[in-house]
Amino acid sequence: MTRIEQGAASLPRVLVVDDSSLVRLYYRDVLEKSGFDVDQAMNGVEAMERVLAQPFDLLVVDVNMPKMDGFSFLRELRRGKSEAAALPALIITTEAGREDAEEARAVGANFYLVKPVSEADLRNHVAVLTGYRR
Amino acid sequence: MPLVKKSASQPSGGLPADDDHAGLLQKLSSAEPDARWNAARALGNDPKDVPALAAALAIEPMPRVREAIMTALIRIGDESSAAALLPYLRSPDAARRGAAIEALQSLPGATAPFMLALLRDNDSDVRILAIELVRGMPPAEATRLLCSVLEQERHPNVCASAVDALAELGTAEALPALQTCAQRFAETPFLPFAISVAIARISDANGG
Amino acid sequence: MANSGQGGHASHVTPEDVRRLCEFLYRRTGMLFSDDKRYYIDRRLNERMAASGSSSFQSYFALLRSDFDREIEHLVNAFTVNETYFFREEHQLRCMTSDLLRAVTRDRPPDEPIRIWSVPCSTGEEPYSIGIWLMENFPEVDNYQIEIVGSDIDTRALASAAEGIYGARALMKLPRELVARYFEGVTADAYRIDPGLRDSIHFTKVNLVDPREMARHRNFDIVFCRNVLIYFDDASRRIAAENLFDCLRPGGFICLGHSETMSRISSLFRVCRYPDAIVYQRPEIERDQD
Repeated sequence: MTRIEQGAASLPRVLVVDDSSLVRLYYRDVLEKSGFDVDQAMNGVEAMERVLAQPFDLLVVDVNMPKMDGFSFLRELRRGKSEAAALPALIITTEAGREDAEEARAVGANFYLVKPVSEADLRNHVAVLTGYRR
Repeated sequence: MPLVKKSASQPSGGLPADDDHAGLLQKLSSAEPDARWNAARALGNDPKDVPALAAALAIEPMPRVREAIMTALIRIGDESSAAALLPYLRSPDAARRGAAIEALQSLPGATAPFMLALLRDNDSDVRILAIELVRGMPPAEATRLLCSVLEQERHPNVCASAVDALAELGTAEALPALQTCAQRFAETPFLPFAISVAIARISDANGG
Repeated sequence: MANSGQGGHASHVTPEDVRRLCEFLYRRTGMLFSDDKRYYIDRRLNERMAASGSSSFQSYFALLRSDFDREIEHLVNAFTVNETYFFREEHQLRCMTSDLLRAVTRDRPPDEPIRIWSVPCSTGEEPYSIGIWLMENFPEVDNYQIEIVGSDIDTRALASAAEGIYGARALMKLPRELVARYFEGVTADAYRIDPGLRDSIHFTKVNLVDPREMARHRNFDIVFCRNVLIYFDDASRRIAAENLFDCLRPGGFICLGHSETMSRISSLFRVCRYPDAIVYQRPEIERDQD
């Protein structure tokens, strides 16, 4: 159950992970307008630090950062025993190819989108995955 | 007191530099991983070793030995070293791609002659990785290369990478190309937003 | 978020600017700053902007990217507290006794020493701190032989370390009873470390990128290598990481400085997250291939 479904009083929190500051700004812009509290990380290392430090409701993770950092981050997260290990994840990829879909399932991704992501797609999928629509 | 001082220095066993040069090259293809590891770490001073290092890199199964071979290539740092690393940008293995990119990012000067070709590669992923390398170049040169990407590129994600790089280091020369690109992709998601941020940042830097 | 910088010029530094700075620093040095550090990044950034005569973040950032006048080093210096003192970064010492030593001593026969390395050790505060901490906090300290080595490239610092005399400022984080137990007051502001402890630390000169010097340092279980790799260029950082790998026993640990990460430097090590610290480990068992 997401924190929202449990009736959490604060805004739902999303962590956006992408190595492009412009992409992060874009997602933050779109999601803040929809009432989400957005934090960001530039790579898997920073993402891991953030999820372990604060509660989130959803991860939005680019899996094509130069070192395929996104998948390694999610794999490590899923392997661990933190509360964050079961966080739902929306994966952003550049290929609609099958390998990515397999890998996405393997790291427990709930859904994936292909870049460039439209505002509507991002808004709608985040709303569904967090159970929150303003 | 449980703390004990070691009175003698530890022996330096099997110091790789004790081998002569020919011996090191031979050890690069040893069956023993540690022999290859030590040989790779002792090489890296002579550009003539690049072919041997490149050949070893191609078949080396052990990740840390590959790292050491790449360090040797970085230390040599000339165009032949860069050429030896470039093929790995196409590797199906993400870890090898990542390692190659990191190594090449340490060699902006040596990589420069290859940039035009990389930025026109058939594979959009290679073009995106090439843009990562452009970030290591001086702003004027990088801007020139990235503008030529924007003028010719039709793949939105490659353009997005170029726009991101320009937002970080672009000079005022980039503004016209950015504006044209924004028009071309006006109906697509994300790019118009990204370009407007890049234009704002570049304008700010230029006394805006 | 508008700030007035020193010297009277106004500098408008946004949170997004701070992010971009952190991203750049991560790529160049591997330093990663957690949220609780961000407030003071702002202050250090404004200091450097003033010092470099930059009227805006953008102009400072361009200067930084080109490393004009070694600005990257100046900025990194501003972020690392260069003052050394006893029990600095205590959380790592805690990690050592709470977690690392348990792993190290598993299957370790009592006649095989535990080896701990502090490099760079500067004027000795770190290796002596390790010794004091172990004697105070490691319940099994009497069951093992523990060898502590302190190394630095600076022989004057090493000479000072071997002498073991410190001012009150270096002792500021030590509880009074530890000062009384391990130090002797020499003058009003000079304390000499207990001679037994002083004589039990082995001090050596070492350059992290020199394979010969590094080859004389082997079989360490724990290495403290803090706030030095961030100053190296890419090639030197890789060489140092490869040398450090060889200096560790399989399964041995490296502790970096608080904001440092190994991931940008080297994929030789695996990350270990403990409650008190993030450390890096040489794999115990290596596969011959991936």
